[in-house]
Amino acid sequence: MIKLKLSALAPLTLLFAAAPAALALAPVPQDDDSGDVEEAEAEEDGDRWILLQGGDVYTGTGALLRDADVLCKNGKITEVGYDLHAPEGAELLEISGYRVYPGLVALESRGLFGGSGSLDDSVDPFNESMTYAIASGITTAVNGAEVGKLNRGRLEGVLLKRGTFVGLSYSVSNPSGRVSLREKLDGAAAYLREYRKWQVQVRSDKELKEPKKSGVDSNVLAVLEGRARALFSADDQQDLIAIAQLAQEYGFRPVIRGCREGWIVADELGRAGAFAIVEARDRRSKNEALVRPGGSSIENAAILHQHGVQVAVLPSSTGISLGGIVGRDIMHMPTEAAFAVRGGLPEDAAVASMTTIPARLLGLGHRLGTIEPGKDADLIITDGDLLHYRTFVQWALVGGRVVYDKEAELYFAHIRPRPEAELAPESPVDPGEEEVVEPPAPEGEEAGEPGEAPAEGEGSDG
Amino acid sequence: MMLSSLILAAAPAVSAPAGDLLAIRARHLATGTGETLEHAVVLVEDGKIVTVGEDLPIERGIPVLDLDEDAWVLPGLVNAYTRYGLGGQGFSDLRPYIQAADEVTPATRGSIMSMSKYGVTTAALYPAGRGVPGQSVVVATGPTPDGDMVLRRSAYLKALLSNDSTSKRNLRDGFKEADAWLDKEAKNREKYDKAKEKAEKEKDADKKKAELAELGEYRPLPPDMKGQAFLDLRAKKIELLASLSKAADYLHFLDALGKEEVNWHLRLSLSTECDLFHVKERIGEKGAMVIMEPEVTLHPATMRQRNLPAEFHRAGAKLVLIPRADSSAGMETWLRDVGVMVAAGLDRDAAIQGMTHHPAALLGVADRVGTLEVGKDANMVILTGDPFEAGTKVLAVMAGGSVVFGEDEL
Repeated sequence: MIKLKLSALAPLTLLFAAAPAALALAPVPQDDDSGDVEEAEAEEDGDRWILLQGGDVYTGTGALLRDADVLCKNGKITEVGYDLHAPEGAELLEISGYRVYPGLVALESRGLFGGSGSLDDSVDPFNESMTYAIASGITTAVNGAEVGKLNRGRLEGVLLKRGTFVGLSYSVSNPSGRVSLREKLDGAAAYLREYRKWQVQVRSDKELKEPKKSGVDSNVLAVLEGRARALFSADDQQDLIAIAQLAQEYGFRPVIRGCREGWIVADELGRAGAFAIVEARDRRSKNEALVRPGGSSIENAAILHQHGVQVAVLPSSTGISLGGIVGRDIMHMPTEAAFAVRGGLPEDAAVASMTTIPARLLGLGHRLGTIEPGKDADLIITDGDLLHYRTFVQWALVGGRVVYDKEAELYFAHIRPRPEAELAPESPVDPGEEEVVEPPAPEGEEAGEPGEAPAEGEGSDG
Repeated sequence: MMLSSLILAAAPAVSAPAGDLLAIRARHLATGTGETLEHAVVLVEDGKIVTVGEDLPIERGIPVLDLDEDAWVLPGLVNAYTRYGLGGQGFSDLRPYIQAADEVTPATRGSIMSMSKYGVTTAALYPAGRGVPGQSVVVATGPTPDGDMVLRRSAYLKALLSNDSTSKRNLRDGFKEADAWLDKEAKNREKYDKAKEKAEKEKDADKKKAELAELGEYRPLPPDMKGQAFLDLRAKKIELLASLSKAADYLHFLDALGKEEVNWHLRLSLSTECDLFHVKERIGEKGAMVIMEPEVTLHPATMRQRNLPAEFHRAGAKLVLIPRADSSAGMETWLRDVGVMVAAGLDRDAAIQGMTHHPAALLGVADRVGTLEVGKDANMVILTGDPFEAGTKVLAVMAGGSVVFGEDEL
């Protein structure tokens, strides 16, 4: 099977077979000792190249390339294949024995970007939550109404997209809400029909006025025009069916967060072309008063997938938790996907549930989600199967830059260190700074005379 | 600096009486330029230094102040960032026209002058408030040769930067105001030029004369309150001081600054788990001046201590040190606090320069204060011992050639 898929890449491979020996000459990069993304800004002088050499590349397109190379230029993947030639000055990352996956995409997150307000003005690209998230494989995350890249240590290219989702509600238990949503949809659909008619007629009659937009719900209109995704939060099977029917009626693809009883109505959801954002470890018993199947199922993701629903996973908490709900927070997306595999979801679909599908769902499928030439060089390099609990992200690249190196960070360096790597230094502190001595306790007589001018000052600094 | 061959008798004898001359002989003297003199002699005349050197002969008749064997002489300390003795709350928006100089009044003068007893002979008072609260003023805390307490009326313009849209907008708005004024001015000029052109085409000589007389010379528009400070920044008449507390703030500061070319310095306020070390290389490679307190910080989420002043110095930044607390207690322990950082790896000369020459350079008054060199104001701190050893105290302070503190001790 692998062979068959490889043949599709054969022309690509042939192209690069011409320059097989040049690699030996490629300079070995100076290992940045801090991992703090403090490398000099090289792109001002020329192109910024990085070659990942000799890893098992899980492209996300169905192909697995063993012992292959990935070449990136200025933040984009340029070539994937064998014996790739890196231009002089390229950074080289020797990763034989490791696996390369596309960076994970979290469809919801809290606190990863540190700060509030628009991402480009508020991101704190040094905050610890961002590092933790990258350490768990996430390179792109939804933050409120915006989609951002975890471009650690930099501001450039952080904000990818604004206004992806339009939150809608359509529940059997709220009839008036349903009526009101339908009215909005009808209004928007009527406007769109008028508008299209006008588009045709205005060609012959230049004087014709554009139909009025007033009274049309702009959010719902964005959904019908395909500019935004309709996001429903629903678990109950009746609600799910209703949403599926509504979506088919008005011609849009719904995104359903929760989708707990989706396995019962998977057929309807599949036909509606739904996206489901599921929590694979969800546990809820059925309502015993009802004579029908219900509640959660470990097979939910698998069954939805079988019926053509695009399944993405999210853990139950979307922040970084180092206590409390630890293990079910955003750092554990791969664990969540692994539980879906436990329920029967194929492994490639489980990886896709964190990469390709969320990227597509966000309308960023052209940039993220797979390892292909032209895509963003957002890659994670792991020491094993992404879905295995034992696996660690060893390096992470965002925009073609190494933004995380497990050995160089405090967090996980001590757990199963890379055999060939030098152990992370005991302390990230510069030499000479560890002899810091505590300042001597102020002597009583010196501790400032009371009644002197007030110790104002830094107060105004915040 | 080696002036051993200089014959003091030949020093230009200004018309001042010999009584204004004073020689100081010290076993140790740090000049503030990174040099330490042994057996130093300083000759002061009319409040200025006229000679500095090692083992110089002193002409008979000049009063000599012979210091104790242990004593050290440093240039008068320069506190580049203080509101000592000034109260009050500022605003948190864009008010670049506020001048801290206006706060130097007879009411605050006393407490400003009282800084001299801690060895601080020059201070920059900054305006209170967040956002862009205004411009600072550089004052002498004692007598000056020219008698003027204010050394520089408008020094740095302060701007507080943080990772939020408000603080970035404040800065961007300032430059927008400047652009708006320039636009208005250009339009005004264009209008004038057109009117003049029209008048010159007038055939009737009398009428032409009258119209030209009415137009007169071109008068530029009055300067705009908010825009002016930013025009001054662009013209490099004043500097920008960005106050930051996180590494991210630095990136947002550069982002907000965009392509504007101004002279800027940084105020890095150190907190316990400060993450500013992330950008030390980027700041260091620019050779930027950084104002920080001698504070031991912790690596985030650990108990590992970091010496950020030492790290920034090593990275290439020019260190400007200020007291840990902006209070009398802070100034009293200033040297000792810096001594802790020196003991923990901070370069000794960088520490001395960080309290003298560098702050003077940041404030644009390095031609007057900050070093013990010929021609500079005679501002000196005389210490009982090594500046960074525990137990060392300020013995006496000289400002503008007069002893302003500790006269009895000499």
